[in-house]
Amino acid sequence: MASDAGAVTGRPDGKTPKNRSEISYGRWYWPSFTFPGILWLAALFILPFYVVLSVAFGTVDPLFRLPLPVYQPWWWSVDTFRTTFEKFTSGSHIYLDPLTRTLVYVGLASLICLVLGYAVAYYTARYAGRWKWLILVLLISPFWISYLMRIYAWQSLLQPDGYINDALGVFGVAPIIWVGRPITVVLGLVYGYIPFMILPLFGFLDRIDQNLLEAGRDLGASSYQTFRRVTLPLSKPGILAGLVIVSLPMFGDYYTNNLLGSTNTSMYGNLIDSAVGQAGQGPEAGSLVLILIVLVMIPMLYYLRSTRRQTEAA
Amino acid sequence: MSAHPRRRPSALNRRDFLRKSFGAAVALPSAAAILAACSKPGTTSSGGGGGTTGNGARVLARPDDPVTLPMTQDPIPTDTPIEGGTLNVYNWDAYMYKKVLSAFEDEFGVSVQWTTFNNMEEGIQKLTSGQVEADVFFPTTDYVARLVEAGLLQPLNHELIPNMPANVWPVFNDPGPYYDLGWRYTIPYTIYTTGVAYRRDRLDDADAAAKGYELFFDSLFKDEVSYYDSYRDALGMMLLRDGVMDPNSDDPAAIGKAKDAILEMINANGARLTINGAYAKLPEGEFGIAQSWSGDIVGAKYYLPKGTPEDVLGYWYPPDGKGLVGNDTIVIPSGAKSPRLAHEFLNFFLDEHWGYLNFADWNGYQPPFTSIVPDKLVSDGVVLPTLSSAVVNEKSFTTGYIQGELSADTDALWLDAWNEIQAGG
Repeated sequence: MASDAGAVTGRPDGKTPKNRSEISYGRWYWPSFTFPGILWLAALFILPFYVVLSVAFGTVDPLFRLPLPVYQPWWWSVDTFRTTFEKFTSGSHIYLDPLTRTLVYVGLASLICLVLGYAVAYYTARYAGRWKWLILVLLISPFWISYLMRIYAWQSLLQPDGYINDALGVFGVAPIIWVGRPITVVLGLVYGYIPFMILPLFGFLDRIDQNLLEAGRDLGASSYQTFRRVTLPLSKPGILAGLVIVSLPMFGDYYTNNLLGSTNTSMYGNLIDSAVGQAGQGPEAGSLVLILIVLVMIPMLYYLRSTRRQTEAA
Repeated sequence: MSAHPRRRPSALNRRDFLRKSFGAAVALPSAAAILAACSKPGTTSSGGGGGTTGNGARVLARPDDPVTLPMTQDPIPTDTPIEGGTLNVYNWDAYMYKKVLSAFEDEFGVSVQWTTFNNMEEGIQKLTSGQVEADVFFPTTDYVARLVEAGLLQPLNHELIPNMPANVWPVFNDPGPYYDLGWRYTIPYTIYTTGVAYRRDRLDDADAAAKGYELFFDSLFKDEVSYYDSYRDALGMMLLRDGVMDPNSDDPAAIGKAKDAILEMINANGARLTINGAYAKLPEGEFGIAQSWSGDIVGAKYYLPKGTPEDVLGYWYPPDGKGLVGNDTIVIPSGAKSPRLAHEFLNFFLDEHWGYLNFADWNGYQPPFTSIVPDKLVSDGVVLPTLSSAVVNEKSFTTGYIQGELSADTDALWLDAWNEIQAGG
C-alpha cells in the first residue's frame, strides 16, 4: 500500500496525517453494523419465540381458560409439552393422522413444484430471450391479489357446478366434488407456493455459464447428457433453496386446507390452529409449535450443511 | 372509565391481576403485570377480589338453576351526561345493520367505531387484554358469569333502558334470563333456534318432518351435507338426536356417541363442517341440507341466485319445541369510556322500530319483542312462508334446550371429542 504518501507531503503543523490503513474506527465500529440485524432478529424472532415457549410451558387462567404465559423460566412446567409429545409417540391418531398427511402432502406438493417449476425456470433462463423479464413479471403478478382471494376464487371454480366441472363435462366427466379431497389440497399448496420455487431456480439457472454447456457439447455429450452432467449439478443449490423455501411454510399452512379441504385432509397447521382457538388448549398449541419447529429443523439443517459444503468446494 | 375515577381500585387486586395477565397472552406483559406476578400465574390466591374463585366454585347457570350475578360496582348514575365522540362497538362481523348504526350516529351526533371478532375466544382475549377498547360487547350467554366474575362488565342502569320493560318479552324482564336474573348486566339481542335447513326442490316438507335429524345421514344428500363447525352446536344437536335431552351433558359415553355420529356423517355421507353452509351455500345450491340457526336460514333468501324461487328454502325444527334454542346478549364492559352513550345504544336496539328494522332488513336474527307477531312476519314477507318454523316464539324458551356454560372438565371432554372429529377419520 502507499503507506508513506502522507509523509512526503507534510503538513504545516508538522504532524504527519494518518494514512488510511491506520485510521482507527474503534473496536466496535464494524461490529456495530450488525446492530440493525440483531435488533430485527431480537424483536421479530427471539421475543416472539420466547412468548411461544412461555405459552407452551405456561398455564391457562382458571376463568376463561385462555393461555396464561409464564415468563419466568423457573416456573415453567413441561407437563403439557410432555403429554402432547406422548400423544405422538403413543400413536394417537388425532395427532399422527394430521402429521402423516402433512408429510405426504408437503412431499408431493414440493415435488410437483420442483418438476413444474424447473421446467418453467429452465425455459425462462435458456430460451425466453427478450421475453425473460416479462415472464418473470407474469410469474410474480399473482401476488398482486391476496392469496386468500385467489383461493376463494378456486373454491368457486371447483364447485360442483363450477367452471372446472363444466369444462370436464364437455368430455363427458360427471361433476366431481373437488373441495375436501387430498388432491385438491395438494394442488392448492402447489398453486400457492410454486412461484417461490421458480424464482430461486431461475436465479441459479440464469447464472450458469453458457461456455460450460458449449464445452460439454464440444466434448461429445448429447444435450440430455449435458443437462444431466452439467446443468443439473450446477443448479442443485437452486433446487435445494427452492425446496426449503416452499416446504417450510407448507408445514405450517392451515388456510389452504381450511378453504379447499375437509376434516379428512386436516394437516399439522390445522392442529395448531384449532388448539389456539379452543379454550384451555393454549399451552398445547405452543407445544405443537415447538414440536413442528424441531421437525422442520431437519430439512433446514440439511440445507445449511449442503450449501456450506458447496461454498467450501467452490 | 374516566367517568368514575373514584371507582378505580387503588391497588392491584386479583381481578386486575387477572385482567392484566390475560393481556400477556397476546402482548408482552406490562410492567404492572410483571410486578403483579408475585405468585405463579394461574394459581388463584384466596385474598383480593373476594367472592368465588376459580372455576367449579361458581354455580353454572341453567334454566332450572338460574343465577343472580353479584354486583361488582354501582351502575352509572342516571344523570350522567351523554358522552360525545366515538362509541366503540365490539361485535361479530355483519351482525348489525349499517343503516341502523347510522341512524344512531345521527340521533346522538357521534360516530360508531366497529370492530369484529371471529369467535368468542378471540373476542374475550382481546377484550381482557385491552387490545380492543369496547363500550359495547356481544358475549354469548355462557361467558356472562365469567365476565362478571373477572370484573369486566358493569351493571346496567335500568332507568336508562326504558325500552327493555316496554318492548321485550316478560320472561327476559321478570324474573329475567336464567344466566342473569333481574338482567343486571345483559340485555337480550337476538333469539334463535338450531334446526335443519333443506332444499325443498329436493325433498318435500312431509319427508323432512318424518326424518328430522336423520336427514344428515340420508344418502339422498350424499356429499351435500353441511354441519356447523362449532363444537357446542355440532355435538349438542347429535345428543338430542340420540335422545340425550341435555345439550350440556357431562356423560362421556353420550358425548362419544354424538362424536361417532358426526364422524359417520362425514365419512359415510360426505358431510362438511362449515360456518357459511346454511346461509350462503345452501341457497347457492352447493348443499342440499345444512344444520342451521334459524336466523341463518331466514337471511338466506339474500343469497339465492337469480332465477331460483324463494320457496326452495325449508327449515325443520322439532314440532314439539324440544330442540336447541338460545339467545345472544349485549353488555357494557367495565372499562367503557362512554358508558352513558353505551346505555343509549342498548336502548336504541331495543326500540321497536330500529330493532325490528335491524332484524327484518338485515340480519335475519329476531329480537325478543312483544310486538313481533309470528304470523305477521310471514305476511309482511320478512320470513318466507316456507320458513315459518324458523320464527322463534316465547314458548320455545320453555320447551327447548339451552346450551349453558360447561365446567372446565366437561368442556375438556367436549373438546377432546371435537378434536377427534377435526383430525379426520
